Amino acid sequence: MPVFVEDPAQFSKPRLKSELIAHNVTLPAVESKKQVYVELYLKHIVQKSAADFSSDEEDDDVVEVQDSQDFEEEKDPEMLDPSVLTDEELKTTLLKYGVEAGPIVATTRSIYERKLQRLLKPAQPRQNGGTGDADQYSDSEGDEESVSQQGSPETVSLMEENLHVDIRMVPQSWNNKNTEYRYHQCFMPLSRMQVSPQSVSLRGGCDVDSSLSSKSFSITQMVEEFESRIPLSSSGPEIKRGNNRSNNQGPRPRPYWQEVATVDKYTMTNRSLFVTPKTSLFKRQIKEPVTDVLMEMFPETEPTPTGIAATRRRPIKGAAGRPVQFKYPDLPASPMTLQRWAVEHRLVPLWVQILVFFIVACLLYLIYAAMEDSLANPFVTLLDNLSMETETEGLSLQAEP
Amino acid sequence: MSSTSQKHKEFVAEPMGEKLVNALAGIGEVLGKRLEEKGFDKAYVVLGQFLVLKKDEELFRDWLKDTCGANVKQQGDCYGCLREWCDSFLLFQFVLCQRKTYQHGPFI
Repeated sequence: MPVFVEDPAQFSKPRLKSELIAHNVTLPAVESKKQVYVELYLKHIVQKSAADFSSDEEDDDVVEVQDSQDFEEEKDPEMLDPSVLTDEELKTTLLKYGVEAGPIVATTRSIYERKLQRLLKPAQPRQNGGTGDADQYSDSEGDEESVSQQGSPETVSLMEENLHVDIRMVPQSWNNKNTEYRYHQCFMPLSRMQVSPQSVSLRGGCDVDSSLSSKSFSITQMVEEFESRIPLSSSGPEIKRGNNRSNNQGPRPRPYWQEVATVDKYTMTNRSLFVTPKTSLFKRQIKEPVTDVLMEMFPETEPTPTGIAATRRRPIKGAAGRPVQFKYPDLPASPMTLQRWAVEHRLVPLWVQILVFFIVACLLYLIYAAMEDSLANPFVTLLDNLSMETETEGLSLQAEP
Repeated sequence: MSSTSQKHKEFVAEPMGEKLVNALAGIGEVLGKRLEEKGFDKAYVVLGQFLVLKKDEELFRDWLKDTCGANVKQQGDCYGCLREWCDSFLLFQFVLCQRKTYQHGPFI
């Protein structure tokens, strides 16, 4: 008989509570510390397991939860109630559903619990069909998201029906073909972005998590990607430009310019062949919820039939004989111009200052001239002294040779 | 889906420093006050939460709805704002944090 190391201290308090209730043990006061629960648990349940052999199986099953390997053997209430899971258990349960959870701290715990509940809800009633999953996702997403996003659930269901692509988001796709979930990151407006097979997923690794969790628009991303693959040919620079633009654009819940993941060219061509006749059917539907980033950037441009619009780029200063002053209306003030302006601003009163200075100097001289008598004396005496000294010097000089 | 707002543009144009949560796109007075009551008084605290949730959109939206009752548009605005800020500044912000300790001068 396998021996499991019981460590009730690892259980969370609600877990211990439920265990005690299951074993018909009277609960201590509500405010009791966890230790009290642990002790009670140890006392009663360990005793029970020692005494009653048949109940061992149940206890063992319950204890096995610690290993977090055999969730299938858990009782249903355990699975349906993420709040009784410890942080570790919650994290591993989420991982089982393909969600790589971040740190489960106080602020994040409730979020992850809710996420797990959401994952558990569709998984339990329907465990058979793959076609139902996308609909469920669309339903769950539709409940939460606003009206504006209801277009994407429609595309999700349509995708499922028409393309028969296994776009299983969460429960199974994690371990399935890598190419599948890598598609989720791709999002390209029609006929604008182009797939680059060599554009390695720069953000591929870290985007997987977000892609797996963000169900609604990633399906749309796949559709976009399929459609854009039809015109085809790869170009890396375009994607880079798209990325740069994404930094400036501040994308909404549906990021448009995310990096395209590596796509297996072989499967890509296969899919495109498979998809081509069908995508045109709901191209219309997809267009509505999707708004063009370029249209956002340049709202005044007319929508062109091909979807390609060229915008005049800013002319190069002084190029091709273009006089500079006519081509740059209302330039923003550069630092140099600002400095120059500040200096010029100061120069104007500078002349005034010099003028005032001279006026004051003249005034002083006039005052000096007017008060000649009083001022003259010290100067006169000074001059006399100086002249005397020079005379004596001159006499001495004359005397020497 | 409108283009980014003025608030968004202003926020992502420079490091957030000590900006209040009201400076975040999508967070107005009411939401800002609710966030402050919960302890998220500065934009960088919300950034912290955003990073702890690994910049995941869905989780961050959930959290925002939970914490201050933001609607979908507000959630989206805030998420987009923070994400774009991170794209531009996240590495640089770490450098800034180092600088902050020397704010009063290196010899004091």
